[in-house]
Amino acid sequence: MDSATVLDRRIATTWTDAEVLEGVAAIAAGPLRAAAPAIDHGHYPLDIMAELGRVGALGVHLKRHGGRLGVAIAAMEGASRACGSTGFLMWAHDVCGLYLENAGNPALSTTLLEAHAQGLAFGGTGLSNPMKALSGVESFLLRARKVANGYRVSGSLPWVSHIAPGQYFGAMAAVVDGARSVSHEILFIVRCDERVQLRPCPTFSGMEGTSTWGVRLDDLLVTPADLVADPARPFVARIRESFILLQTGMALGIIAGCLDDMRQVEPVLGRTNRFLADRPDELAAEAAELRARIMRLAETPHDGGRDYRIEVLDARIHGAELALRAAQSALLHQGARGYLAEAAPQRRVREAHFCAIVTPAIKHLRFELSKLMTDEYPS
Amino acid sequence: MSETWRQYICRACGLIYDEAKGDEDSGLAPGTRFEDIPGDWACPLCGVTKADFEPYEAPMAGAALAQPAVVTAGRRPGVVIVGGGAAGWAVAAALRAQDPDASITLVTACAGDIYNKPELSVALSRGMSADGLRRETGDQAAARLGVRLLAKIHAIAIDAGRSRLRTTGGIISYSHLVLAHGAKPALPRSLPSNLCWRVNDLGAWEQLRARMGEATQRIVIVGAGMVGCELAEDFARAGHGVTLLDVEARPLAGLLPSQASDRLLQGLTALGVRFHGGVAVTGVDRRSDGRLNVALDHGSTIAADFVVAATGLATDLRLAVSAGLLVDGGIAVDPASMRTSAPNIFALGDCVSIDGQPCRFVEPIAGQAGAIAQAITGALTGDERPASGPAPLVIRLKTRSAPITIHGAPDPQGAWRVIQDSRDGLVMEQWRDGTLRSRLAA
Repeated sequence: MDSATVLDRRIATTWTDAEVLEGVAAIAAGPLRAAAPAIDHGHYPLDIMAELGRVGALGVHLKRHGGRLGVAIAAMEGASRACGSTGFLMWAHDVCGLYLENAGNPALSTTLLEAHAQGLAFGGTGLSNPMKALSGVESFLLRARKVANGYRVSGSLPWVSHIAPGQYFGAMAAVVDGARSVSHEILFIVRCDERVQLRPCPTFSGMEGTSTWGVRLDDLLVTPADLVADPARPFVARIRESFILLQTGMALGIIAGCLDDMRQVEPVLGRTNRFLADRPDELAAEAAELRARIMRLAETPHDGGRDYRIEVLDARIHGAELALRAAQSALLHQGARGYLAEAAPQRRVREAHFCAIVTPAIKHLRFELSKLMTDEYPS
Repeated sequence: MSETWRQYICRACGLIYDEAKGDEDSGLAPGTRFEDIPGDWACPLCGVTKADFEPYEAPMAGAALAQPAVVTAGRRPGVVIVGGGAAGWAVAAALRAQDPDASITLVTACAGDIYNKPELSVALSRGMSADGLRRETGDQAAARLGVRLLAKIHAIAIDAGRSRLRTTGGIISYSHLVLAHGAKPALPRSLPSNLCWRVNDLGAWEQLRARMGEATQRIVIVGAGMVGCELAEDFARAGHGVTLLDVEARPLAGLLPSQASDRLLQGLTALGVRFHGGVAVTGVDRRSDGRLNVALDHGSTIAADFVVAATGLATDLRLAVSAGLLVDGGIAVDPASMRTSAPNIFALGDCVSIDGQPCRFVEPIAGQAGAIAQAITGALTGDERPASGPAPLVIRLKTRSAPITIHGAPDPQGAWRVIQDSRDGLVMEQWRDGTLRSRLAA
């Protein structure tokens, strides 16, 4: 994009909450709903992402646009109701926005961020491995060493989503000195240019339109211009709850989509569906309570207290669990028609399972809760 | 040369490269040693490089069984108890005595081993070990009582409307829920948890005991309440140098009249305990030599090998609040049935408050557990017999240098009458509205 376009659009970025949510609803009910099966099988919907950006769905969570985390979650919910893959792309895009906004370098935190926030530029996140590494589940796959004009970074990330040549993503590397001992970590932006190898991933059972690649970095020079946080841990601690809370938008949307699927067949199949567990009204009531809890948590993303962190992790787990139950129930409610290859319920079953296994997965979240709830004693 | 084939695991995706099998799709014949794989080879599943593999050893058979059980949905909802201390096990035993068929699940963050907590504050001088203190392991108790034990699982939240408990091991549905999770040491900011010990459960005591070893240690105990005074005596009798600190001028000032405090202090002093009253700790730091510095509010510092905080307990109300239960410093309960503000949730032990007062003593637990078992089994059979309330309190301070017994619940602000004060002993009483409220003997 040229900078004049950005400037023109910047004037128009006084999105109200209602405009964002109405804009998302119209996109979800129109082009996104139609494209959902194709996205599931591999179509990368950058056109739709651009539309979502235009209505503010990719920028409202940023401080410069009011830090409206709840609206961003609701926007992701609206899109995920039609297509979980697109919800996931929005999440990856949103957290990349959080990295850019924090960068000390104006090249990232002004021009690129503004284009990113409006859906004029696209980038994702490669923090799955680092989040697990910080939790003690894995070790860092990217290693950095200090050089005169920045860091040299090497290593491979198995899957990074929402990237393509010309796009970018946030990554973390462990800084190693000569003796292989890790001094700290850095968070930086990787630009997917000719220095970065993108390798095709094995075929997944769903979510194939999220443009997910294996990334290999071979002594990539990261200059201060692309550094987001050095050291990275204090920054990650600051955005950790936003990172996790934003993911709940996917779960809420998948659950809402499942309720749509169940209610769609109620006039025809209700006579026998009433013998099923997890009926739509029951699930809807539980989802409404969870949604209210998530929206309350989204008002104070920087609380940082132990009880708040426990609640955020639990809400994220609850979202994934309820999505799993809702997806199974949607398929049971629709019966054979939900089992057709292009039917929404069977796609949502795979989307709900993605919610449950994407980092941090249910098991990682429970592991983290267990650590958080174990009292510390002198070592 | 040995033909022992090794395995390597991809740190990114968990794929295992088995030297015996090779990776024929990439042209690696069976029997290709890992070190002979070309450097540009990539993980056949996720594409990371050879450098991202590390040696892998398959876990021993049965190792997975040692992990805590994962909860599965679909069980018949029964009674779920949160907490594997004396209170939780007392309810399990009382329920089992009244109903041989009751489904009982006990969820606990600890191992669920059964021990007598008050013994922790006298165990060191008696030369006891953790094994000696442990009367039964959690697994043994669970087998004896027919209880499904979920040990090392944390309770996270209660969905009271749907009668579900959310835990780190999954969701458990309940017919009745019993909260017996106790209270936690309340650490002021000046006493960081990574430098200050607390003795409130067997696990912590065992760790502290192991760290103290056999050498003579300098120990600072912060807080001269019941636990602080008992530990001070215990550590001093075990030969350690003990300094006991309190913001009040005399030990146990919140519970005892000054005549009784004086006797207690004389007893402790005779054992070599140094008591500093009227001081507050402002911070604890580790010095470069590894010892600790305890800074006091009037400017001086005390060097210590160990700092033990005995600054009181507080109930973590997060779980109760998640259920929307009435709380009042602790979880508010009806003293006759130990029922909380939710009809099918009960609470007992250190986590409750009765008329706004916490009740953190061992003595009433058996009565509370019996009342809960009766309320639950009565409810299950439709037989709503009135539950018997908890028995009157007895508090015993296990300081052998000056043992003190209190009957009843004294009012901290109430006046005491001296009945006897002689070499043979001290007897005092508290009266209100013409009735005996409390009686103390030292």
